[in-house]
Amino acid sequence: MIQTRPYEFMVKYTPQREWIVRRGILLWLAFFFIELGAGMFFVSSFFNNLWGLFIGWLICAVLGGGTHLLYLGHPLRFWRIFISSGWKTSWISRGLYFVAFFLVLGVVHMGLLLWATPATPLLVVVDIFAFLVIIYGGFAMNYVNGIPLWNTALLPILYVVCGIWGGAELMLASVLATGATGLGIAVEEWIRILLLGFIILLAVYLISVRYGSLAGGVSVREIARGRWAPLLWIAVVALGIALPLGVVILSFSAGLAATPVALLYVAILCGLLGDLAMRYLILRCGYYHPIVPSHVYSY
Amino acid sequence: MRWGMVVEMKRCIGCNACVLACKAEHFLPPDIFWRRVLVSESGEYPMVTKHIYSVACNHCAEAKCVEVCPTGATQQREDGIVWIDEDKCVGCRYCVMACPYQVRTYYSDGDKEYFPGQGLTDFEKIGRILYPHQTGVVEKCNFCIERIDAGLERGLKPGVDRDATPACVIACPTSALHFGDLDDPYSEVSVLIKEKKGKRFHAEYGTEPSTYYID
Repeated sequence: MIQTRPYEFMVKYTPQREWIVRRGILLWLAFFFIELGAGMFFVSSFFNNLWGLFIGWLICAVLGGGTHLLYLGHPLRFWRIFISSGWKTSWISRGLYFVAFFLVLGVVHMGLLLWATPATPLLVVVDIFAFLVIIYGGFAMNYVNGIPLWNTALLPILYVVCGIWGGAELMLASVLATGATGLGIAVEEWIRILLLGFIILLAVYLISVRYGSLAGGVSVREIARGRWAPLLWIAVVALGIALPLGVVILSFSAGLAATPVALLYVAILCGLLGDLAMRYLILRCGYYHPIVPSHVYSY
Repeated sequence: MRWGMVVEMKRCIGCNACVLACKAEHFLPPDIFWRRVLVSESGEYPMVTKHIYSVACNHCAEAKCVEVCPTGATQQREDGIVWIDEDKCVGCRYCVMACPYQVRTYYSDGDKEYFPGQGLTDFEKIGRILYPHQTGVVEKCNFCIERIDAGLERGLKPGVDRDATPACVIACPTSALHFGDLDDPYSEVSVLIKEKKGKRFHAEYGTEPSTYYID
């Protein structure tokens, strides 16, 4: 329920609710899983790793697609998106097309990899759709110009880096499980670069939003110093960034083979938790500008 | 023809008659508001000014909600009215997010009663027959589309004749709300906007709202 108290709702900076509270929580998970799965597929395709491709596809289809459908008020009407011309302007509509094409072409590619010779042009097309699946959530949120925290070009980029980073982490976890150290080293190189990119992007994103507008400032203050600050500093910064960064530095200096596997698993888990927490904060702290003309309020 | 509204803020006394008229007209369930009265204050004691805004869907000419709707459930007519085809809505709530004015509401709890535990009132029972609301879809003000269409069929003029004018406008005891054709330069709303320099909320978003506010 949207709060209806006349002195607060849209008179002060008002947080969005529908995409994070109650069933909205499913959308948070949906964006995470769908981008994580597509990210894993994307990374695995560079190494022709069938297990990675399959697990990524499965996460995207079952967990991502499932939570997306469960979130809808009328899940059985989802087919209406396909028959409408909404794709011309709606990122949700485009996203559904991207996911559908990715899932269908992904199956064809995996089939070819398993039973015949994989076709490179098809792989390129599947990877393009995987990339679009990773990025569409960021664009869908970026289109909402009433929420400055979302209405920035950095958000889709941040989500792409997160999606591929998470995918690479899952890929590393699956590689570690099979004991293919050579492949693990190659994947770990991806993780190093993506983790560094994530740290820089997150910092630039929050700083640019903080100073970009008043509502953006309110959002970032809420994230960094408000009710949700523990989630940022503990889940995102300490567990999601510092711990994986420490493990990355250790494996870089001592070598992946010398790094305890348990520690790598912990770092992967923490990295994914940090990604999930960051997405929660971005959804939870999306504040609208008040609609009434600018009176000054203390927050 | 483009329907629009003018809110005269100095006349508004914040009585919520418009809110209640809207609820009664559309048999709106508990917690669902198509129109709201927002109250803000500025200044410091003893020089405090109270600002009252009667707000509802602005029926923007460049409506973000229409653009983001993945199924085409949110549509815009030629006369500018933005309405929702509930049968097409999947309940993704992207339109709720995209509306910078936050005048859309997602209706999720169809079992909720006005008086919990005491059963449905006659008003609610009749409403479920005359004006059923689907759960799992998004709702908002439709400028009393039924009244306008029925009135036009009878040769009435919306904004002038009561039977063809939105319920909130005719319920306002101080005549703070005005309704009419924005494309007609001689309509009451056009004259008011021109003479009193009507302003719109968040013009910077480029949504071109059809609701103007004047002092």
